[in-house]
Amino acid sequence: MAIPIVPQLLRAHLAELAENDERHDGRARWESRNTELEIGVLRNAEGSAKVRIGDTIVYAGVKFQIMTPYPDRPNQGGLMCSAEIRPVAGPNWEPGPPSPESIELGRVVDRGIRESGCIDVDNLCIIPGEKAWQVILDLFAISDDGNLFDAFALAGIAALKSAMLPEVKFEMSDSDRPLPVSKTPIMCSYHKVGGRFVYDADGREELGGDERIHITLGDDDHVHSLQKGLKGIFTENEFSEIMEHAQSRCKELREMVHNAEEAD
Amino acid sequence: MGGYGDVQMIDENGIRVDGRGPGDLRPVSIETGVIPVADGSARVIWGTNHAVAAVYGPMECHPRKIQRQDRAVLDVRYNMAPFSTTDRMRPGFNRRSREISKVTADALESVVLLEMYPRCKVRVEIEILCAEAGTRCVGLTAASVALAHAGIPMTDMVVSVASGKINDVVVCDLNKEEDNYGEADLPMGILPNSGELVFLQMDGDLSQAEFQQAWDYNMEAAMVVHQIMVDALKGGDA
Repeated sequence: MAIPIVPQLLRAHLAELAENDERHDGRARWESRNTELEIGVLRNAEGSAKVRIGDTIVYAGVKFQIMTPYPDRPNQGGLMCSAEIRPVAGPNWEPGPPSPESIELGRVVDRGIRESGCIDVDNLCIIPGEKAWQVILDLFAISDDGNLFDAFALAGIAALKSAMLPEVKFEMSDSDRPLPVSKTPIMCSYHKVGGRFVYDADGREELGGDERIHITLGDDDHVHSLQKGLKGIFTENEFSEIMEHAQSRCKELREMVHNAEEAD
Repeated sequence: MGGYGDVQMIDENGIRVDGRGPGDLRPVSIETGVIPVADGSARVIWGTNHAVAAVYGPMECHPRKIQRQDRAVLDVRYNMAPFSTTDRMRPGFNRRSREISKVTADALESVVLLEMYPRCKVRVEIEILCAEAGTRCVGLTAASVALAHAGIPMTDMVVSVASGKINDVVVCDLNKEEDNYGEADLPMGILPNSGELVFLQMDGDLSQAEFQQAWDYNMEAAMVVHQIMVDALKGGDA
C-alpha cells in the first residue's frame, strides 16, 4: 500500500478530539460503525459472505480442493486462508504481488479461525494418506475505509459456516453436505488514536493513529489469536481495558453470525 | 469454442436451456456508488455474473515514465476473484486477464476525453466476483458506468454484449453452457448513440448470414442494456 503523506494536521485534530473523549465522526470510544452481514451472496463459491462496516466492504468466498494429506497427519484435511486487497479497494492500494499488509491480514484471520479449532480437520479426510479436502478461504476487499481485519474475520467465519462440501461435483456422493464448523471465533480490533485506544477505527483514524491490537475470542471467551501491529507502546492496563470490551462485543457479533445463519 | 455439437442446448421451439428465446438477454441490473471510497463505481449483475468496477482519478500519474504530456493515461485492470469460478482461480494476473485488460482499455480510450487531463492517470478497476459467461462484456459495461458515475467526460458509454451460435442456431447473450459447448462467440463493444464499435472479438465458426444475425442481436441488446445503464446513473446512488 502506498503511504499517503502523513497528515500532521489530521493527527493533531484527532488528538484534540481525544482529549474531550470524542471521535471525528461523532462516535463514542467503544462504538462501532453500522455493521451488516449477508451470507450466500456469490453463487460460484461453495460458501460466501459480504460484510459492510461503515464504508468498508469485503467479501469472503470458500472453495474446496482435493489435497494429499501431509505425511505426518495422514488423517487430516487442511485450511488455507488468504487475503487479497486489490487496487479496486482504494486509491492507495497498488497492483502487484501481495503486500506485507495483506499478508498480515490473511495470516491473523487465519490464526483466529485455525486455532479456535472450529473446523474439524479429521472430518475432512477422504482416504487416509491419499485424499482429503482442502478448505480455501479467500478474503477479498472492494472498499477500504479502515478496519479490514474485523470485516475479513467476520466475513470469513460466516462464509465457512455457510459452506457446502461439493461432494456431487467431485462424484463422491449424491448430495453435498455442510462443512462442519463447530465454533464461531470473532475478532475485535483496536487502534490507538490521539493517545487512547478506540474500537473499529475508520480509514482516517488509521491514517492519523498509532499502533493497533487485534484480539480473536472463541465461543467461551478463550483467546485464540492476538496481534499487535504498527509502531507504538501500550500498557497492561490499556490491554485489559480492550480485552474487557472485546468480550462483550464478540458476543454481539457472534449473535449476528448466528442470526444470519438461521436466516440463510 | 468447444464445438461439442452433440450437446442439445436449444429445443425445436427455439427455447434455450435457461428458458430464453434466441434473441433474449439474461436479466441485467445495474447499481452505482457501490464502492464508497472510489470516485465512481458500479455493480452489474447480468444473469449470474456479478461484476464491480471502481474509478479513481484523474490523479497524479505514477510511475512517471508512463505519463503523457498531451493526455491522461487510462490504467485498466480486469481481474477475477479467486472464488468467482467453479474451480478456484489462483490470485494474480494471467495471460487471459492481461489480454482482457488491454482490449478493455483500448475500448475505453476510444471514448474517454483523455486530452482534457494531460499528465494525469485515471484508474479503472474491474473485479469479477461471480462469473457465468461473458465476463469481459459485463466488466466493460460496468467500467463505462463507473466512469460516467465518476464524472469523467466521454463521447459515449460503451455497451458490451456477446452473441453466438449453439446447435446451428444464432442466439443472443450466451450463458455458461452455451459458451462452453457452443460453436461461436462474438463479443462487441457498441456506442449506442452512434452505433459505432470500439471493441470486437470473435471465435468459432459463423457463416456470413449467421454473422450478420449475431451482429444484429448485439446491436439490439446494446440498446436495451444502455437504457438500464442510463436509468442506474439517473436513479441516484446506493
